[in-house]
Amino acid sequence: MFTKNRLEQGVTLYTRKSNQFKTVNFSVKWKNNLDVKTAATRAVLAKVLEDSNGMFRTQTELRNKLDELYGTIMYTSVAKRGDTHILSLNVECVNDEYLSDGGVLDEAIELLGTVIFNPNLEGDNFKPEIVEREKKSVRERIRSQYDNKTSYAQQRLLEILRPNSPISTSSDGTEEAVAAITPETLLAAYKSMIEEDTVDIYVAGDIDETEIAEKLKAVLSFGARPARKIETFKTTEKVNRTEPEHVREKQDMKQGKLHLGFSTPITIHHPDYTKMQMMNGVFGGFAHSKLFMNVREKESMAYYASSSYASHYGLVSVMAGIDAELEDKAVSLIKEQVLALQNGEVTDLELDQTKALLTNSITSTFDSARGQIEVYDQFKELDEDFTADYLISKWDAVTKEDVKKMAMDLQLEVVYLLSGKEGDSNE
Amino acid sequence: MNKVHFDNLQETLYNEKLENGLDVYILPKRGFSKTYVTFTTKYGSIDRTFIPLGKNEEVTVPDGIAHFLEHKLFEKEDGDVFQEFSVLGGSANAFTSFTRTSYLFSATDKLYENTEVLLDFVQDPYFTKETVEKEKGIIGQEITMYDDQPDWRLYFGMIENMYHEHPVKIDIAGTIETIDEITAEHLYECYETFYHPSNMVFFVVGAVDPEEMMKFIKENQNKKSFSPAEEIKRSFPEEPDSVVQPERTLSMDVTKPKLSFGMKCTKTDVSGEEMLIRELASELVMDVLFGRSSDFYANAYKDDLIDESYSYSFMMENGFGFSMISSDSENPEDLEKAIRATLREATTNWPITDEDLDRQRKRKIGQFMRSLNSIEFIANQFTRYLFNDMKLFDVVPVLEKLTLEDLKNAFSTFNDESGFTVYKVLPAEKENA
Repeated sequence: MFTKNRLEQGVTLYTRKSNQFKTVNFSVKWKNNLDVKTAATRAVLAKVLEDSNGMFRTQTELRNKLDELYGTIMYTSVAKRGDTHILSLNVECVNDEYLSDGGVLDEAIELLGTVIFNPNLEGDNFKPEIVEREKKSVRERIRSQYDNKTSYAQQRLLEILRPNSPISTSSDGTEEAVAAITPETLLAAYKSMIEEDTVDIYVAGDIDETEIAEKLKAVLSFGARPARKIETFKTTEKVNRTEPEHVREKQDMKQGKLHLGFSTPITIHHPDYTKMQMMNGVFGGFAHSKLFMNVREKESMAYYASSSYASHYGLVSVMAGIDAELEDKAVSLIKEQVLALQNGEVTDLELDQTKALLTNSITSTFDSARGQIEVYDQFKELDEDFTADYLISKWDAVTKEDVKKMAMDLQLEVVYLLSGKEGDSNE
Repeated sequence: MNKVHFDNLQETLYNEKLENGLDVYILPKRGFSKTYVTFTTKYGSIDRTFIPLGKNEEVTVPDGIAHFLEHKLFEKEDGDVFQEFSVLGGSANAFTSFTRTSYLFSATDKLYENTEVLLDFVQDPYFTKETVEKEKGIIGQEITMYDDQPDWRLYFGMIENMYHEHPVKIDIAGTIETIDEITAEHLYECYETFYHPSNMVFFVVGAVDPEEMMKFIKENQNKKSFSPAEEIKRSFPEEPDSVVQPERTLSMDVTKPKLSFGMKCTKTDVSGEEMLIRELASELVMDVLFGRSSDFYANAYKDDLIDESYSYSFMMENGFGFSMISSDSENPEDLEKAIRATLREATTNWPITDEDLDRQRKRKIGQFMRSLNSIEFIANQFTRYLFNDMKLFDVVPVLEKLTLEDLKNAFSTFNDESGFTVYKVLPAEKENA
């Protein structure tokens, strides 16, 4: 779906022409090992590169320039996938065709080069006040997770389930690792990223692919670099559980946030991966799924009750917002749904609905340029010729027996409840 | 069927008002696999006092009923409508706002079958004592979920501070107590009054053949009978220009204080082009004064008064409206002072130049073009505009002719200190933990 163009060893351009969108989307992605220090450093680096650069020295100058370029979007972000940390620089500008005065695309490409190769240095280093300000920004982002009860409860579940492992490691690192960053360590990280990381550059929009490749080559002067093998996360602690572990924690809040963690040997690298996606869909991925139909619709116990499959990590987690006093009832209801799956209690209807909605979901994702880039970037590692039709045909072939088999492999490891302090007289 | 082509946008819009009063719009989008379809009634949480269809006396219904009705419309005698969409690969949803209730699906296959499900379930209510009682547990958990979200509390707390009487101050979902009063009879009364086709808009956008789709919708509607359209008589209390409470604080288990600063709009009884000019001009004023390229933003960011959670916005419907600024802040007092100083300075010494206006105008045009990539944005925004007699595709031409005078006029509707209010969520004292 994307045209591949090797610019240098380790530097690849992927372009996709489509007249579907009124904008052109760029994304440059640098990939490195996921460890706490790298994650923290790159989270701050991402913010520093977004703040200003050698040409637009202050945030105000840079933002004024973007406003003038018809509100061109420019932002950086960090994410993780398996054992990989990813820093992305994203730019989106309106296609010149829709504007009374053109030239925006060329300027946006220029800007991309400026942000990457001309950072805001003072002497030989990043400006200390900008580094300190952005360290604070990332620290606040890490802290603020506490305020969102659902995402906090999910993070706690993952920490209990797999301490010090990629799934519980934030792509922002930790507060301590952020505090330890200096302008010097940040500059070293910047140089290593620009010179040594594997770089993937994406462009999607109504473009002339040859012309855009020439323009980007001229601006993005990355040198050749040896292929980098992402290292497996080093500090993984082995957790052996024979019985599910129950953990209850309290905050000042009203609702009970019930999160369950199941492990499975099936990850995205396993041939049964698409069967596991189907199992998760029947279990709790949609509004026709067993969790929604039974926990919400039949028992009226919850507004949300769903499951999700973290395919890179071999984990299925369930989340439901309930009255904390009904914890036991909710847990048994959830276990009953797993048992039903393991007994092969899956109808043709459930299977058809799940296939139809997984198909709808992947096809819909391709209706956004950013969706095309993100999905392709993930799947190209498995298959360079990846298409949505490939996944759809795999889902179509999944049988009830497959779903049952997938459910048999689920192992409940942790039941976590975050709830309020009121009404806890029974403890 | 009417057909309007917008040259500068390369879009063509099809429209027809059906005999029963239903307004149907179809916008084909080239290159899309997905079609997004919405069926919306001009009925939201603020419509709580009205004369029911066929009656003479005004009634006030329990708070949260529009949202409750939205939930209940999905349940039928033979089961749940989500099931029907799922088997057709349609991803269905619904939402209730202050002024609208919208039912929708998106699908990449079986467009007509999904469309039929949408048209039929919204036009075939089934409410019983049992199904209404059952829903109270689910919505109760939904309300509790929102109660635990500090950013939602911050937003709503600010609105509560602002309004004396207007029902915009009532939470869209109601409270555990008010939803307990809701009966199947209430739901039928609201349904009959507000779900007549003449009070509704059907919007289809994405992969669609306009002629065939229009024919399909007409055939579906022709099979059903509706009473003649009648004018809906809603009533709203008088609302003073000033706020009820200039300041209020809530204590919650959060890590950092949160501040929301609201500026209440006056002269909100507008619609059509007047409203569009006011809305765009107000947004531009907020962009210049409080946007990421503003002096305010640069200083507040440098002085650590705001962080990544910072946002500002403007919203207006007929009868109410406000600008707001919010952020997590270690120092909410200084942030409030900085906001007030910026507003005071702008009031005494108008700071916006033609150059500022041109730059923000360009930004806004780009933002609009970008949002046309989203078929969800088009359907939802178009419908909201239509209910206020505005046209979504007029945005660029209106932006192009906006003047500094328009911006000054817009600013004068929300720059009076008696309309300012502050709501804070502060970290709870930990000693009792």
